[in-house]
Amino acid sequence: MHRGKALVGLLNNPVVPSIIKYAPNLVEYIDVIPDRLWYDFEHGEAIGGRFHRVVSAIEELKQCSKGRVLGGHGIGLSLPSAVPIDVAMVAEVASLARELNFEWYSEHLSMFLVSHGSVPNSQAGLGLPIAYDEESFDIIRSKLDVLKRALACDLLLENGAVFTPVPDTTFSEPEFLNRLYSELNCGTLLDLHNLYVGLLNGVLSPREYLEQLNPDCVHEIHLAGGDELAGFYTDSHSGLTPSEVWSWAYEFTPRFKNLRAIVFEFHESYFEKLGLKGIAAELERMHELAEAVASGAQLGHVS
Amino acid sequence: MLVEFQQALADLVAAPELCRQIRANPSLLRQRYDLSQREYERLVAMVNQRGMALNCMLYRANRLAPLALNLPRFCRAMGARLGPLLSEYSMLHPNTNVHFYLEGERFGHFILAKISEGFDLEPRVKAIFDEEFSKIKLGLFATYTAI
Repeated sequence: MHRGKALVGLLNNPVVPSIIKYAPNLVEYIDVIPDRLWYDFEHGEAIGGRFHRVVSAIEELKQCSKGRVLGGHGIGLSLPSAVPIDVAMVAEVASLARELNFEWYSEHLSMFLVSHGSVPNSQAGLGLPIAYDEESFDIIRSKLDVLKRALACDLLLENGAVFTPVPDTTFSEPEFLNRLYSELNCGTLLDLHNLYVGLLNGVLSPREYLEQLNPDCVHEIHLAGGDELAGFYTDSHSGLTPSEVWSWAYEFTPRFKNLRAIVFEFHESYFEKLGLKGIAAELERMHELAEAVASGAQLGHVS
Repeated sequence: MLVEFQQALADLVAAPELCRQIRANPSLLRQRYDLSQREYERLVAMVNQRGMALNCMLYRANRLAPLALNLPRFCRAMGARLGPLLSEYSMLHPNTNVHFYLEGERFGHFILAKISEGFDLEPRVKAIFDEEFSKIKLGLFATYTAI
């Protein structure tokens, strides 16, 4: 089987430009979190509007984007929440998407907003789990319609790190993602590290999950590392991708014929720990995977 | 109602004490939220899952992160007194902003309000607070112009 090679890249953060400078050929794609490119003053009428862009970061990103593909990866819209979509934020996302030329846009299949507040997601990936049933599906469907009209690009939803799955649901998470794809043409951003988080915390079986997921759904993969907190394992984006996650990537990626990007996520506060060489080595390994998949080569996993 | 289910879940991860109360007396959920039988049963099961402790820890860590980054010396100087302040602040402002200057500025105003209400800060700690809060305000002011 021969197909186009998936792009290899990074989730954008303030140290990504230095990685691009160090290893320009290893970064082909950048996942951009739009929420980190503005200050949201909510009631900002008196200071010139709600969203104040971080112009220096946007300009730096434009420099980095030369010869590369950019995609949006939002955290602020919280599509599964049973509250109206934030139309002003959608407009701001759309404006940035046009300016930065996002090829596609992803959000999380997790809940961050509730009617009287929000759940913080500043460091360790806390999004709340959702009930996989018709009601949630209908809410997401209507919000995806709004986003599609505003962005006019492919949309993806990412599986979250779940610590307390909602019991007694109509669908499993992969079944829900399959339905989003088959009925709404919404692809999957498959975070393999989040499956590892679920495995170590005893809430899911990654192999069962990956066997249930329609491989055609998967348009992007996220790799990452985490660490332990009080006997739990978290998606803190603090380390390199664990060996077991790599083994799933080697085994299952060849099935994902619509895969467009493989992305490594790390939080900038762990940059010193990971080091330029460490991140470059991770990117090289991702390229080897992408090239092997594209060429149809036999894949072997060496931990 | 799904909106109530989601609110209850968010309230639980923000308040370990509420989790303890619900574990001891699940019917409190019905008193506080308009839930279907299925939603009620889901929440009772979730609050008893092992991972709820991690949800609560991550909520707390993520609320603390912007403050520890922008007011590091103040947070250290407060020591054990910081925890109750953070709980009170989180209850007062259940929404968060991914931008740390905004979160830091709001927390700074919260501390100022506490001081005006009589909260006692020794002069050394107050001086640290004033210095770090000034830096936050300067940083935030710079963002006003970056449209």
